[in-house]
Amino acid sequence: MRLLQSRAQRALAGKIEASRGRLYRMAFAWCHDAVLADDLAQEALAHGLARIEQLREEERLMSWLFAILNRCWIDYLRVKRDDLDDEMLAELPSPLPGPDSHAELQETVSRVRAAVAALPVGQCQVVTLVDLEGCTYAEVAQALAIPIGTVMSRLCRARAALRALLEPATAQARLRSVK
Amino acid sequence: MNDTRDYSDERLNAFIDNELGTQESDELLAAIAEDAELGQRLCALRSTKELVRHAYGHLPPARRKRDGGLSFWSGAMAASVALVVGVLMGWQGHSMAVTAPSDSVLAWAGSLFSQPAPTRVLLHLDSSQPERMEEALDMAEAYLAKASNARVEIVVNNSGLDLLREESTPHAARIAALASRHEMLAFVACGNAIARYRNAGLDVTLVPEAMVAGTAVEHVVDRVRQGWTYLKI
Repeated sequence: MRLLQSRAQRALAGKIEASRGRLYRMAFAWCHDAVLADDLAQEALAHGLARIEQLREEERLMSWLFAILNRCWIDYLRVKRDDLDDEMLAELPSPLPGPDSHAELQETVSRVRAAVAALPVGQCQVVTLVDLEGCTYAEVAQALAIPIGTVMSRLCRARAALRALLEPATAQARLRSVK
Repeated sequence: MNDTRDYSDERLNAFIDNELGTQESDELLAAIAEDAELGQRLCALRSTKELVRHAYGHLPPARRKRDGGLSFWSGAMAASVALVVGVLMGWQGHSMAVTAPSDSVLAWAGSLFSQPAPTRVLLHLDSSQPERMEEALDMAEAYLAKASNARVEIVVNNSGLDLLREESTPHAARIAALASRHEMLAFVACGNAIARYRNAGLDVTLVPEAMVAGTAVEHVVDRVRQGWTYLKI
């Protein structure tokens, strides 16, 4: 059996495996389908483990993994629509039905998820990376291979769209935060 | 009021996301103190961020379940994905809450990898829970039954080592029978786990069918790189 080159790589392999939950959450926020999200997370982990020596800076592990997850997600979408170019992809309506099946969740949560699911793919990815993972704009730009200016404009459009869709909920949240 | 117009939503978002420098942030805060409308815009954006942030705290469980469920790693060699899926669905009646994969996933897997390839599956067991031990053996048997040229390995670490320890395994006879029936089935124990057991003063005598790898993680990484399908039990 060929050994991984260094102790550091072995430790890294463990960390990659340990990030499964975060990859699953991000994949779920992109596709809103538990089965598909698990597949995407698995796929990203497998690719990550297989290319472990390409990761030079360990602190970039998560944005590196999100970049891989992004490619898995884009590949999946391309298979469904093989004529996609990047521009179209950014504006592509979300391909999957909204999260109807989460009726058991609090109403606000399911409304927010439905709103996120309704965003175009490019906007959905940016807003979830920033809000769920706390990625910096630079990290998002790197993970999605887009310029920072595009990150900012997509984020802006995403939040505007979410606000419009969630106006009553945000109003309530504001009220609560005032109280 | 001019100030309000000066602040685009992009700038406000950058503030919320901690992307503005100290000076710009201070200026914005000063402007908000002067301008209620600007404050409201900021507040609405921040609420939106908070809503998104809290909407994904409790997710539906992944199809794999830690306790007693199946895990399934499509891996690079997804010709076997369809088979894995088939097995998962076949096992549904047998084994707890396993959601059947959607048609879209099947179509995806099928379209990505059209050429057939020999099935090579690595099953990873890291627990000594009786039902999981049994599941590992059941899964191995199911794969071997599905394809005559399938290669299957069961790699164990942590307390999963108990499956291959003569001192603890309830399955010695079944392991021997499976190994004699299937040449392409291998049992691999994690060297680290063995060392840890021994350090803890426990005897480790492996069943004769077992081989030892340096560590389970390395073994998994190697197999995945070689295109094996990886499944965590």
